[in-house]
Amino acid sequence: MPKILVMDDDPDIIDALDTLLGGEGYEVITAHDGEEGLAKIREEYPDMIILDMLMPRLDGYGVYKALHDPQWSEWKDIPIVILTSVSEDVSHRRYELETGVRMEVAAYIEKPIDPDVILEGVRSILEA
Amino acid sequence: MRKELLYEISRSVIAAVGVQNVLWAIVESITKGTKAKGCALLVLSQDGEKLYHRVSYGISPEYIGKGVIEVDDMIRCVLAGESVLVEDMANDPRIQYPEAAKHEGFGSVLSVPMRSYTGVKGVMRVYAGKQRTFSKDEIDFLDSIAELSGLVLEKEEERDRMALEANRAREEVSRMSDERERFLYFIRMVAHDLKAPLAAVESYLKIILKGSTGPTTEKQEVWLNRSVKRIDGMLELISDIVDLSKLEAGLDSPELTPVSWTEVLNSSVEVARGLTEPRGIELENDIEQNLPEIFGSEVRLCQLINNLVSNSARYTSTGGKIAIRAHQVEDNVEVLVEDEGRGIRPEIIPEIFNDFFKGDPESLEGTGLGLSICKRIVEMHNGKIWAESPAPGKDIGTLVTMVIPKGVVCSHIWGKPE
Repeated sequence: MPKILVMDDDPDIIDALDTLLGGEGYEVITAHDGEEGLAKIREEYPDMIILDMLMPRLDGYGVYKALHDPQWSEWKDIPIVILTSVSEDVSHRRYELETGVRMEVAAYIEKPIDPDVILEGVRSILEA
Repeated sequence: MRKELLYEISRSVIAAVGVQNVLWAIVESITKGTKAKGCALLVLSQDGEKLYHRVSYGISPEYIGKGVIEVDDMIRCVLAGESVLVEDMANDPRIQYPEAAKHEGFGSVLSVPMRSYTGVKGVMRVYAGKQRTFSKDEIDFLDSIAELSGLVLEKEEERDRMALEANRAREEVSRMSDERERFLYFIRMVAHDLKAPLAAVESYLKIILKGSTGPTTEKQEVWLNRSVKRIDGMLELISDIVDLSKLEAGLDSPELTPVSWTEVLNSSVEVARGLTEPRGIELENDIEQNLPEIFGSEVRLCQLINNLVSNSARYTSTGGKIAIRAHQVEDNVEVLVEDEGRGIRPEIIPEIFNDFFKGDPESLEGTGLGLSICKRIVEMHNGKIWAESPAPGKDIGTLVTMVIPKGVVCSHIWGKPE
């Protein structure tokens, strides 16, 4: 089964996603900040990363930038789903406009987590 | 009468040439006109114990620098309103610096009070080269000029005081505006911290409802769904508060760009479809393509249209219709959102754009902030927004009209004190 790395500093979000995705048979690995996440990427070679933006030590954007550095070229094609905290709101476009941060990622998914939305997103990205 | 006349003269002369120039003209004219050796205006210190040189003519810097004049009995007489003549400066015990006067070549000195509306401002002194007397007419005339000088000095004090007050007021405004910004920032931070736990709780509830943690009873399911709804309401309220505080604090510059109205409306229609389709509401759109560009906030304009459509969708039942229309009318872009909902009672129409106003205060839906956010966004773009209900020509529904000038420069700080 595909391996999904969930990176979020909120232990409840990690627990919720672990239960949801694990229940669907995915292998879920977790990290509580960007630095731990990068270490897990190196060790585990996940098939997909679900990435929270606001995290201590190294935030989601920091992880995104690191993966686009030439020394990470081995892992650069892992699809990323950005988990926007509700403050970053409604749409991908709104997030870009308000923060001035633009990222090429597979999808943006909002919190609170809607199980159908996230499962459908994960399925379609992994099948692509 | 004399005082009023002098006051009027002083006012217009000061306005024309400035305080310092008026004082210079006075001391020079007095010296020349009375064939004196010099003339000085000495101003009373705040504590009333000393006289300081303010301006003079025909007097050497050494004499001016001789020292401060203490208010003694003779000066107290002058300050009380009496003109005092000292005929022999070098030998009169009332003179505080007789040596300097002798050295300067002064014979006698006439001291005249500089009266004003609020009291005596100081002393005008006319120095003669030899021992001389002044006639009553001369003293009267000098008394008038001294009074004019007093009024000029008073005017200057008043001007300085006003400048100081204006400065204080400016500082106060800037301090309040800093405080306001700190407060708005605080609200945003609190709101943000409230959202994270709510989002986590709702995520759990939705996963339980999905069945990932095992089966739920019917009752549990109803209550879990209601809990999700209540949390959604709370999240919506927090989002609105964050939006309001952002709008109040002024938008960040990355948000302000040239914006295509057509693009804003087309993408808003897409978002609106996501709201109307699941509810079986028809969405009609009639958007003029190539609408003018404006410099403003794409995010906020999209939010504006989405707020209005989601309001309409809330009150329009299945099978009803919502229409979004946009056209250029003269120098404005006119955007209309019309629904076939139950409408707004006429008596509450004037209030619907107020903060926290809810047509039905009992309703759990809506935060009462949606329309007030809309109003702020429209006004930031120098536009106007209003509602009509029932929609013109119909007996149901509501029509909301926004008129925003084309090519507008968004005033990026809303409601900030000048």
